[in-house]
Amino acid sequence: MLHRFAAAAMFFALLGSQGARADVLDDVKKRGELRWCGDQEGGGPYVYPRDDDPSQVTGFEYDLAAKLAEYLKVKPVFVQGQWDKLGDMVSTKKCDLVLNGYEFTPERIEALTPSIPYYVYGLQLLVRKGEPTFKTWDDLKTPSGTKAKIGVLTGSGAETKMHEFCGEKNERCEVINYDGGTDTMREVETGKLDATLQDTPIASFYAPRFPGLVPTGDPVGKGYYVIYVNLGENALRDALNEAVILLQRSGDLEASYRKYGIWDKAQAELAGIAEMGRFFGLDKAVRAEVKQQEMPKEEIVHTEVRKHGLEVFSTYGGIMLESAGLTVVLAFGSFPLAILIGLLIAVGRMFGPSFIRLPLAAYVEFLRGTPLMLQLYFLFFLLPEVGITIPAFWTGILGLAINYSAYESEIYRAGLQAIPPGQMEAALSLGMSRAQAIRRIIVPQAVRIVIPPVVNDFIALFKDTSVVSVVTLVELTKRFSVLSMSTQATVELMIMTAGLYLLMSYPMSLVARRIERRLGGVAA
Amino acid sequence: MITVENLVKRHGNNEVIKGISFTCQKGEVDAIIGPSGGGKSTFLRCLNGLEPFQGGRVTIGEHVLTPDTDANRDAKLLQAVRRKVGFVFQQFNLFPHLTVMQNLIEAPVVLGENADSVRARASKLLERVGLDKKHDAWPRDLSGGQQQRVAIARTLVMQPEVILFDEPTSALDPVMALEVLKVMEDLANDGQSMIVVTHSMHFAKEVADRVHVFAGGHDVEVGTPDDVFGKPKHETTKAFLSAIASG
Repeated sequence: MLHRFAAAAMFFALLGSQGARADVLDDVKKRGELRWCGDQEGGGPYVYPRDDDPSQVTGFEYDLAAKLAEYLKVKPVFVQGQWDKLGDMVSTKKCDLVLNGYEFTPERIEALTPSIPYYVYGLQLLVRKGEPTFKTWDDLKTPSGTKAKIGVLTGSGAETKMHEFCGEKNERCEVINYDGGTDTMREVETGKLDATLQDTPIASFYAPRFPGLVPTGDPVGKGYYVIYVNLGENALRDALNEAVILLQRSGDLEASYRKYGIWDKAQAELAGIAEMGRFFGLDKAVRAEVKQQEMPKEEIVHTEVRKHGLEVFSTYGGIMLESAGLTVVLAFGSFPLAILIGLLIAVGRMFGPSFIRLPLAAYVEFLRGTPLMLQLYFLFFLLPEVGITIPAFWTGILGLAINYSAYESEIYRAGLQAIPPGQMEAALSLGMSRAQAIRRIIVPQAVRIVIPPVVNDFIALFKDTSVVSVVTLVELTKRFSVLSMSTQATVELMIMTAGLYLLMSYPMSLVARRIERRLGGVAA
Repeated sequence: MITVENLVKRHGNNEVIKGISFTCQKGEVDAIIGPSGGGKSTFLRCLNGLEPFQGGRVTIGEHVLTPDTDANRDAKLLQAVRRKVGFVFQQFNLFPHLTVMQNLIEAPVVLGENADSVRARASKLLERVGLDKKHDAWPRDLSGGQQQRVAIARTLVMQPEVILFDEPTSALDPVMALEVLKVMEDLANDGQSMIVVTHSMHFAKEVADRVHVFAGGHDVEVGTPDDVFGKPKHETTKAFLSAIASG
């Protein structure tokens, strides 16, 4: 009991410790919407695509968000973001709160304001059923012959825990990082890994999908999922805390967790934490009368067996096609802009006054030398700091266009350099100005020369559009990740994704070849 | 028409034109001959501002080019000069992305002339150079001689007061060279002012009003074709002519 008190005190001690700021709670009420951030790629049981309509999400956090919104008398609105960027989403006001398996950690509370916990998680070790060598934690630690291979999610608490266990240099066992939560479970089942360490909700929720796995030992490394709001948004945080206390006391949380099969004995601690609220200004919520929720008799949300084959195509074909549409729009929206900017830069560098050549060269080198992902991140998360807010879609278009303009400008520069100087001299000798000569004689020839490399880049851009998931857009590749994580039908989805990309880029090649024949044939 | 006073041109420390004075009157044909590397082409390129120069001055009608003339600052002046002074290149320099007719009308139309009237003028000029059936041909489908004749017609569309020819037949075989020279002779007979850098002694002898011998950056000898070819005074001229005769 003593350590429970300590834990609760820790959460409440944060109350009022951070300077208050502009009131997001007022905005939420005025707007009538509670915008909550999550990443559906994380999969079940948190937030994941619905089986019957994959364009909508569900999950125990989806249910919790609905309850929180109901308490605030507003509508819940889900905002998709990339999991490791959800904090940035909140601090740039793209949503009001993060509710997506975010652990309470000393690092996070430096940048964000946490609520009290809504779930107590542990880390569950899963091994292969019937495996003779590695059955327990101890088996993993004392290798007999080969070292055990243990898969973990990159950046998770499980990764930290496993590194402690195996030793910094993998002395006792080998820690292998994965980017998808359930990928490691599949790998254990197929024998590539010997064990995986998972957050308890994932281990419980996906157990039926992986009948070849068994939990071994009790969960270790207890931690707390909390809701994060922007630093100093105390009014909103207080309201959320009241709601969590009421939902805990009424049994709403328990009912919901039982529904998803993730209620376990560790959750008992939530009651103690809620109770402590009365010492920290939340007395009203602690003592309010609540109607007790009826508990479901059994798990209502089942993870069915994995979908296979044609069923995957028919269920998810529609949403995949829709996401491919966004890919097309992004590519066709950004590339013409990239070409235009690139051409202007190339002309400026070739023919412009010397004082603009250096900045243009710097522009090209900077954009070629830094990752597109960082550039998008800058546009989306850092520009708002200086008051410039661009919507996600336009950030995607602009980011791709600016990044590719650097590559296109180099191609055009090569094209311009390939035009013999006699062309410029002939145009000048006929009385044209330099600008007229560039526009009418030099550029049209250069454009024809560079058609093949430009088309090549266009096809490359098609696939680079996948990077825009960092600015919350769900295009084809992100949709593939989201669905494959929640359905585990990876092979079918991969075939579908590859097919769609090919279907989009091949016609491009054909069209380009026609343009090339029509225009390119004319050049000497 | 064109007056050149004491023109000096250097590439770094290398002086390629060492003080040449020169005049070309209206209706006059000046031929410039001489050994390679004598500064002939460079001299010609200084006259329409394609090359800056380091000393002297060039006067074209009311326009004056000096060593201070700057390609950017004096762009308007250079444009005005080039509208009076046409230029025909050794390598033709037709615009490969445009048809024959488009090559002819491009510049006047860009400079604001009515397309229909330019096209009518261009048609007549193509007929004059014997290419009236090639309006819609692409440059790459023409022979060298045909290309050069298109280039001459393209220059003529601008109605220049004087045309500079920079070794117009050097890239052509003798038969094609003859086609081109015939067109040039025809122009000369019509009173077109021309300055022609050439290796064609026939043209210098039979068509030019005056012949200049350039060697080592100097205009070593000037005179009528009869004088220069019949009674050459300068040693360089004699050596050059005998080299050509034996070659």
